[in-house]
Amino acid sequence: MEIIIKEIKNGVEGHFVGRLDTVAATKVGSEMTKLGEYADKEILLDFAELEFISSSGLRLLLMLNKQAKAKKGKVIIANASDEVKHVLKLTGFISLFEIR
Amino acid sequence: MFKLPITNDISEMEQLEKFVDDMAEAFKLEDDFKFQLGLALDEAVANVVMYAYPEQEGMPIHIEADGEQGKKLIIRIIDEGIEFNPLAEAPDVDTDATTEEREIGGLGIFLVKESMDTVQYERENGKNILTMTKNL
Repeated sequence: MEIIIKEIKNGVEGHFVGRLDTVAATKVGSEMTKLGEYADKEILLDFAELEFISSSGLRLLLMLNKQAKAKKGKVIIANASDEVKHVLKLTGFISLFEIR
Repeated sequence: MFKLPITNDISEMEQLEKFVDDMAEAFKLEDDFKFQLGLALDEAVANVVMYAYPEQEGMPIHIEADGEQGKKLIIRIIDEGIEFNPLAEAPDVDTDATTEEREIGGLGIFLVKESMDTVQYERENGKNILTMTKNL
């Protein structure tokens, strides 16, 4: 699992590559912290190359969204696969984020 | 029968991906089906790794899978840890809750139930046995 981070006009973009499963979720703490530094801006999560997500990954997304809500920022999820979207729908996460 | 013996260490769960790949190949699973199977396994095994053996390392967890092509898959996760029924312990999930209302965690077993057709827990001879089935 890799999260490639770059600054964009209104905030930051995180490009997720690989599987965000239980093991991977324990290893991306510093990247998630980095994304959280933009909690008062726009945090765009590009899921085009995210192959898998489980509840450990959802937990990270929720923590990031809590930070953004508290600081009046926004988390956007873009290009999620049908399978990842299905998990977001099942858990109701789909309505917590702006989905593109 | 597919078997994957691991110990109660999160890093051991890296082997799950190949385990699911092997099953997908053997039973010719579609991508969405394979995703759901991987999800149920990741969640259910994580639960055992984290709770079955408090304060103990290198303890056994047996993962078994069997099935009939075109019918159903049966997966069993067996440990010799403390008696723990994840189905009874799992909190109710309010999928309509807002970001602010939501607690961190508690979605794992919910996703296991949503991804599989049946999920059953038994305590037998000092072992926790979680049996999950999915119709093909």
